[in-house]
Amino acid sequence: MGNPNRVAVVACAQTELRAAWSNAQHVDLISSTVSNLLKGSGVALADIDFVIDSGSDVLDGRSISNCGFLGAMGAHHKEESRVEEDGLWAASYGINKIAAGAAEIGLIIAYSKPSESDVSLFYASQVEPFYQRPVGFDHLAASGLQAQQYVVRGGGREADFAKVVVRSWEKASGNPHVAVGQVPSHDEIAAGEYVASPLRRHMMSRPVDGCVAILLASADVARRLSATPVWVTGMGSAMDSHAFAVRAPGRVEACEVAAKAAFARSGVDPRTVSLAEVSGSSAAGEMMVLEALGLAKPGQGFEAYGGSTAINLSGGALPADPIMATGLVRLAEACRQMTVPGDYGLSNVKSAIVHATGGVGMQSHCVFTLEV
Amino acid sequence: MLQAPDTYPIDRPPLKSTISMAYTLTPGRAAGTFMVETGKRRFVGSRCVSSGLVCVPAQDFCPRTGGADIELVVAPEAGTLTGFTQTAAGILATIRIDGADFDFVHKIVDSSLVDLKIGARVQAVWADASTQSILDISGFQLAPNAPIGKIAPLSDPADPLPMKPYPLDLHYEHAFGPFYGRLFDEIGSRHRIMGVRSTSGEGVLIPPREFDDISFTRTGTWVTLPDTGTVSAMSVIHLEFRGQKEPPPYIYAEIQLDGAVTRLIHSIKGIDMSRASELVKPGTRVRAVWSTSRTGSLSDISHFEPIPELNSANATDM
Amino acid sequence: MSRHVGIVGIGQTHHARRRTDVSQAGLVREAVDRALADAKLTIDDIDSIVIATGPVLFAAVNMPEKWVVDACGGRLKPVVRVTSGGGTGLAGALAGYYQIAGGQHERVLVVAYDKLSEGNLQYSISTLYDPFWGREFAVGIMGFSAAYWRARMDVLGHTEEAAAMVSVKNHKNALKNPYAHVKKVITVDDVMKSRPLAWPIKLLDVPPISDGAAAIVLSSEKMAAKSTDRPAWIRGMGYFCEADNAASRSMLVSEPLALAARRVYRAAGITDPRRQFDVVEVQEPYTCFELSYYESLGLCAPGEAAELIASGATEIDGDIPVNPSGGCMGANPIGATGLIRLIEAAAQVMGKAGDHQIPNAKLALAQSGGGWANLRGVAVLSA
Repeated sequence: MGNPNRVAVVACAQTELRAAWSNAQHVDLISSTVSNLLKGSGVALADIDFVIDSGSDVLDGRSISNCGFLGAMGAHHKEESRVEEDGLWAASYGINKIAAGAAEIGLIIAYSKPSESDVSLFYASQVEPFYQRPVGFDHLAASGLQAQQYVVRGGGREADFAKVVVRSWEKASGNPHVAVGQVPSHDEIAAGEYVASPLRRHMMSRPVDGCVAILLASADVARRLSATPVWVTGMGSAMDSHAFAVRAPGRVEACEVAAKAAFARSGVDPRTVSLAEVSGSSAAGEMMVLEALGLAKPGQGFEAYGGSTAINLSGGALPADPIMATGLVRLAEACRQMTVPGDYGLSNVKSAIVHATGGVGMQSHCVFTLEV
Repeated sequence: MLQAPDTYPIDRPPLKSTISMAYTLTPGRAAGTFMVETGKRRFVGSRCVSSGLVCVPAQDFCPRTGGADIELVVAPEAGTLTGFTQTAAGILATIRIDGADFDFVHKIVDSSLVDLKIGARVQAVWADASTQSILDISGFQLAPNAPIGKIAPLSDPADPLPMKPYPLDLHYEHAFGPFYGRLFDEIGSRHRIMGVRSTSGEGVLIPPREFDDISFTRTGTWVTLPDTGTVSAMSVIHLEFRGQKEPPPYIYAEIQLDGAVTRLIHSIKGIDMSRASELVKPGTRVRAVWSTSRTGSLSDISHFEPIPELNSANATDM
Repeated sequence: MSRHVGIVGIGQTHHARRRTDVSQAGLVREAVDRALADAKLTIDDIDSIVIATGPVLFAAVNMPEKWVVDACGGRLKPVVRVTSGGGTGLAGALAGYYQIAGGQHERVLVVAYDKLSEGNLQYSISTLYDPFWGREFAVGIMGFSAAYWRARMDVLGHTEEAAAMVSVKNHKNALKNPYAHVKKVITVDDVMKSRPLAWPIKLLDVPPISDGAAAIVLSSEKMAAKSTDRPAWIRGMGYFCEADNAASRSMLVSEPLALAARRVYRAAGITDPRRQFDVVEVQEPYTCFELSYYESLGLCAPGEAAELIASGATEIDGDIPVNPSGGCMGANPIGATGLIRLIEAAAQVMGKAGDHQIPNAKLALAQSGGGWANLRGVAVLSA
């Protein structure tokens, strides 16, 4: 390595991810997460050089929603910017800033409370308003079409959808950060009503409320603060065309491009990574992402779960998708697995892939590679 | 495991809020022409001259190359089904119009899911009346015998639609949380305004919050504030705009309640509005006038009004 | 450690009250084409795109970067949106700057736009307010801005006449700006007699509502020569905030702006801004803010802004010209405005500001901001 501009994650905190935090406001979730993050991190608020945050005006029901949450974020009189995309993109901004030598410690925050708004409209309002929105095209329709394409064009198997969901919920039920409730059985999932055929009820990711925050630090500071800094060795992102129908069917090309960029930067071979935390917005989508990341052959996404890389030990996004924070939660989960691998039944952990997505039918993707 | 603060039990139903926007959108040349031409039952696509690629319905930029050298064309009304799904909105399909290089999404009508096969021929179904929108085509129906159509030049294209009304309503149910919950319970049940002690200096933060913005340490005990205060800033509103709650003129005021170190936003009334800018100034002492309603919101304060005796006393002192 | 970053291409649309010939995507494309042409590049030369817009409720499309990506030619490139209220254009440029300074990319396209004619401006801005705490009283951000101007009048002497002089100066300068759409000669008396909207803010204290887009190409030092032998080098840039209802928040001098200026001046070696800068571009959502910025940016001491404008020093031929482009008074597509200020500052040090060029401008200051007057950024550019 020897790169003086390396940046590491030195601390993570998050709220429980719940279907609804009906007894808390955004600011309550944010301020308690940041407070918890600082506790025991060795970092005082005054040490933090900047804050980059992710959230959505449309989900929050406020314009410039960061503006009203600055105090809760601990951002008062600091440099601050809002990245209105999943928090993994905010982390990417923060890493660039530290790598540029402009700062030593950065606070990255992502949150959402989809329980307060209409998630279907959050997505539908992203769709171009002249041709697509009027016919009822939305995230559900895109995900259904994508799942069908995955089977018909990508070589995937519809029978695997329910299996992926069962596995995700089982993993999530062992994850103290996710409020799961009743884990649906395979039969329940496989016989569930269609929401966007061939996708059934549990096969779409479940929106949840929550907040996550991480601390980033420059190499010197990271070594001082943490016995096990998690180094970000590569980053890549890419956005596909807006219109779902013109994207390459059966695969997620933007994810492939993002992964290639991250791997080129870090020199990581995806077949050798210890673990991966990925964000799929549907059961089919998760498998397609695993394929795009090189963790499985095309059409064989399900094989990845039985491979040498531990996939989504957290449960992933299917049981808990705090929109805008999902990818940053993946980063936090990966960091925990890398710093205390024993808690997750892992040993000899060296590297990880973290993935985030955004948009209707997973239009945009961001990929990190990590090392300890 | 982190839990949100639970300093006060909350059983308030969430605050309902609706944002109701009336947009007027300009579709641009390609979509704007498309929307007018559908009224003439012409289905308009676009060909990018540099890439040669055809897109239906028409787009201003080539979806593959981004090329802006676009010529508009008339597309056939038939094509092939390339994919489909069913949601609460009905059956939505990706369709490749004959001669086009890209798919697009529209509804499938007059069929159920089991009838559909990828590769099936489909044909546009025109709506009875034009609304200058993509819905001038109600959808596509199965048409096994639809002949393969061809892209043709568009003669005498209509002027593009300059703008289209687009209303959008966004509905929210905002949780109160422990701090706002107690604040508004106290306002609603006792007409009492409560804040919490700042931990970055002397004084009370209102609205109350768990963490002091400046010290970022937990705030202190709950404190009852008087309903009197001082105007820190004010303006006289004459502007009318969509979404406004009160007809102008009125006074927009930022008020610091006695003992508070943050601002409360409200209106000031009970004065001769023609002399508003003389009668209310930064420094003017004001008092809340409570409404008879007890809704547990800021509107339980009807308005603020100047405290005459104090203000005249101040004037004398000066 | 940090790599030098320069602005090597700039472009903006001819702004208008309403463009009924292009969609939001088409508007964006015009600015992108101009910036790329100015940088002698094509979109293939661009590694990454940052898109900045005003709050999404200004328009009907949520996450609008995911719509306009195709118009930018951004398919399969990194594309991300940064948003920060009215200052979003500068905040977007800052994100792009770090993508290069941190070594992730060599060339970044930053695009900013708003098509305000399509929405309900004051209503949308009013949703900035907490739905529980004061939203029903919001008048966009105009009622608030006017209220604290009123407070500054008493303490700092920012009179209605002084603000009117800002309006007169910026309107006059806009006459020379080919991209401005408000072209009108006005007097102090006209401003004073104009209709009150949120007194003390009157009609002629308020910029127009505009449709417009702007774009810049940022480049590493290594790649800059392909585009120009005279980039506008970024000597410092920062964007600070203030908690909107923190204890004892002062609205008199903008603390986040003063903080940003202090930090950026230190990086850029600025010790005497009034003498060192050849030109300044500020984003004045209302005339009263330009007076306040003079003080927060250190162009004069607190309480001296009215004197500074009255002295003529900030006129286009003064010793510290502010907004030779006309500022927001000529055009104000809010999401783009911060980037337009940066573009105008860059054009000055690149020597391509045309009729409003300040002779031999070598060092320029750009300011931008938004929200509750609590999001504030500055950039220092040099030839």
